[in-house]
Amino acid sequence: MVIEDSLSVWWLLLAGPLWAAIGLYVLPRSQGKIKRDERIDVSRLQIAGLIGGFALGPLGLGLFYLLPEMIRRATLILGILIAVFVSSQVLVRVSDPNVPSVLWLVLAGPLWAALASYFIPRHYHDVDADDNNALTAAALGGFTIGPLIFGLMWKHTPKISRDWMIVLGSLGAWQIYTLFAIQNPGNPCVQAPFQVTYLAQQTANGVVIGCIYSLMAVGLTLIYSVQGIVSFAHGQLYMVGGYFSFYFLLHAGNILSELTGNEITVNPIWGIPVAGFIVFLMGAAFERGFLKPMHDGLIERASEYAILITFGFGFVIEYTTLAIAGPFPQRANRFIEIRRFTFPRTQITEDFSFGPLNIIGDRAFAMIVGIVLIFGLLYFLQRTWTGRGLRATSQDKQAAAVTGINPTNMNTLAFALGSMLAAMSGAALIPIFAWVPWVGAEMVGRSYVIVVLGGLGSVPGALFGGIIVGIVEALGAGCHPDPSRGAAYKEAFALLIFALVLLLKPTGLFGREPH
Amino acid sequence: MKGKSTLASLVVLLALVALLPFSVIHADGHCEFADEAIKIGGLVPLSAPGSVAGGVAMSWAFNRAVDDINADCGVQIGGQNHRLQIVIGDSEGSPERGQAVVERFILEDEVHAVSGVYHSAVGLATMGILDANGIPTVFSEPWNDNVSANGIMEYDGRPPRNADGVDHIFRISPASSMVGGVVVDWLLAEGVDNVVIIAENTDYGQPAAADEKARFEAAGATVTQINVELGTEDFVPILSRIQASATVPDVVRILVTGETSYNLTQQMAELGIAPTVDTICVTNQFAFQSEQYWENVPDGNYCTFNRVGIIPSLFSDIAVGLNADYFEEFEDIIPSFAMASYDALHILADGMERAGTISDGAAIVAAIETTDLELSQGRYYFNYGNHNDSMPADDGMPDYFWHQWPDPVVTMMQYFEQGQSSLDAAVIFPEVYQTHGTGYMAPGEMP
Repeated sequence: MVIEDSLSVWWLLLAGPLWAAIGLYVLPRSQGKIKRDERIDVSRLQIAGLIGGFALGPLGLGLFYLLPEMIRRATLILGILIAVFVSSQVLVRVSDPNVPSVLWLVLAGPLWAALASYFIPRHYHDVDADDNNALTAAALGGFTIGPLIFGLMWKHTPKISRDWMIVLGSLGAWQIYTLFAIQNPGNPCVQAPFQVTYLAQQTANGVVIGCIYSLMAVGLTLIYSVQGIVSFAHGQLYMVGGYFSFYFLLHAGNILSELTGNEITVNPIWGIPVAGFIVFLMGAAFERGFLKPMHDGLIERASEYAILITFGFGFVIEYTTLAIAGPFPQRANRFIEIRRFTFPRTQITEDFSFGPLNIIGDRAFAMIVGIVLIFGLLYFLQRTWTGRGLRATSQDKQAAAVTGINPTNMNTLAFALGSMLAAMSGAALIPIFAWVPWVGAEMVGRSYVIVVLGGLGSVPGALFGGIIVGIVEALGAGCHPDPSRGAAYKEAFALLIFALVLLLKPTGLFGREPH
Repeated sequence: MKGKSTLASLVVLLALVALLPFSVIHADGHCEFADEAIKIGGLVPLSAPGSVAGGVAMSWAFNRAVDDINADCGVQIGGQNHRLQIVIGDSEGSPERGQAVVERFILEDEVHAVSGVYHSAVGLATMGILDANGIPTVFSEPWNDNVSANGIMEYDGRPPRNADGVDHIFRISPASSMVGGVVVDWLLAEGVDNVVIIAENTDYGQPAAADEKARFEAAGATVTQINVELGTEDFVPILSRIQASATVPDVVRILVTGETSYNLTQQMAELGIAPTVDTICVTNQFAFQSEQYWENVPDGNYCTFNRVGIIPSLFSDIAVGLNADYFEEFEDIIPSFAMASYDALHILADGMERAGTISDGAAIVAAIETTDLELSQGRYYFNYGNHNDSMPADDGMPDYFWHQWPDPVVTMMQYFEQGQSSLDAAVIFPEVYQTHGTGYMAPGEMP
């Protein structure tokens, strides 16, 4: 099975995909000509063409064309054979440190994952088993334990619990880390014993910034869950919140200084509620003026209107701010006078020490502000009558109206609250980043990723989504083999995870399953 | 009868008043202007992702130059005074947008000359269009070496602009290599051996980083280069990586512009990477705007930065006046790109006046090549052009000296007090410009 001559491997790699492409194109188009009482669905013929062409070339395609009853069983067997072949190559290559095995490593896991995620859920469906999470488990299992996942899931078709997912997910993470360590022995993320501190540092960086990301994303998800629209003004509301806080602090400081005769600077913590209050009113006014007609049925193409009107609102805010505040970067004073918190180096054993670990003081403070606000929002949504009203409206507007909840008011409240949260996150970050009128653009793009990753409309989803994005970005930038690219690709790492999660769980991590 | 005569006089008077705007000569204060104004296209970034702060400062300088030139009766050609008019176009810092604006300048606005350009990518993308259409151009801020070098050498598959005998592009901002040379010479004199360069992924950052890296490596120093995207806010993960490296870097050199550079410098200081006793912080010329710098980089004391333009203590009367007006408008010290934009319009106006034409691009170029003007940044002249039989290479000079003002002053400066004005910051290199008798101060030291 192991081909030692690398030339033939390359030929195989070249010819296989070629026949696979031909099979993918030809076989589904032969559907009408294939002699069968019952037509085979197109996706199965596509897979058969792909696998048959890759494994046996023209022979496989001819076989499936003439003997269609073999398609189901033969594609499974051939797929497993291909995966076994690739896996054996992986073992050979990994064991030989002189041969670059990245290609093989990259090929084997996803190949088993693709096979398992194709066949296993269909098998669950055929035997009428509970196929909830079967796709995710099959893909994760294929990636981590290869053919063994067929043994585990095929015969007994077990119900996939959360424990399964945790075990398989952890195993996958460990495998990726191990493969990465084999390929990049000098990388700070794997270099023992130092890597523990470094990974902890990067994870801490990610959690801190992730909590701040979450706060902004929570507002977006709240608006979506109640109104069913995505606010394209969210980034600008975040930006203007920062400016409201900045100018409030400036003027409050001046007034207090004049009154007392001493120079007084106001702590930026006070700017957060002020900015939130002003933008709450702005959001409510905008909703009443421009979004209410949409909910009242006065707008013909409501979803397009919502995109355009919120986009326009954002535009007006950004350019008005530019005209008033100017283009020069501004920044508020610190929350706290501690530049950074340092967890000192600690000798754990004779050979192993942990630390030092640094967290920038203002970021830690902003993280706490973010967490407090998110939990405050959760409390409001779960424990107050108005919050429950919002949740009820998000689930079923008509049913909510029957119980005495006014959906119109709830729509306004949701948009105002969402805008307020964006503004408060801006006010929490203006002591941390240089603030310019277009500062919201980068942040809002990330918020959309977080909201979809966490599950549209889910507040806990936005919280965890933000933390995940923060950690993935930090680890991606910190661990990329080429430091010069790690920083440049920072946002791409989050998008990679985003794509992967959507592939395996299209509703997002905490999204509601469609009825 | 008398009533008819009065009525006729009134009609004639009204007709004269109505025709006044259409007369050949307009009176404007003490000057009389010809009907045809000279239109100069000012290409600057006024929207993100461009450096809006830079664009606003350059626009201000253009308008100030236009006011000064018109107050001095505009540009005198053929016995007539022509009013100067600036047409501002927003490049957004994007090459494609810059090209579109330049095409609009040429086809719709029918400009006679162009100036400005902040981002190198915009300069590189638009210079070919401007040259092909015979528009005399004086760039006031792009630094990429090839902006001027493409006059006589092939660049990116494009033939030299001067291949047809006229190159319409001039530059009065420094080439990246001119700045890089000063920074590297100073750092090598300080004995650095382990260098980290953080560069933006642009046509300014990447060539500048490559140039400095080559110079450091030629001197035997070890260089680690990290590329970042403009507009990034959070640099902590990548800075943690620098902090975790086995050897402490001797210097962190930042080749990033705008508010991104402020975020990067501040986060670097907050994490305790630089400036420290072991590691020199070298940020970019944005640090010269001291009001903005201290507001956005409160922990940036003892950072050094390269400064382009005459040092504040040697400001000419023109520079002092400009700086005072700029301070009144923006409450900060005037940046070099604003001074260069002001000067660029004077160079164009002077070229047209000496050429005696506002529309013959080749004649204006020939006149600009022989410029000899004292303006806010010093004396302007161009060593290499069609007026000189020698090419830069003949004199052992790099190709970017073609149509390049050779004398932009590049100095290294350093803050040594929290909240210090850049007018009081120490000039530390070259030695001839040193203001505080020191080549560098480690944190805690005083001159």
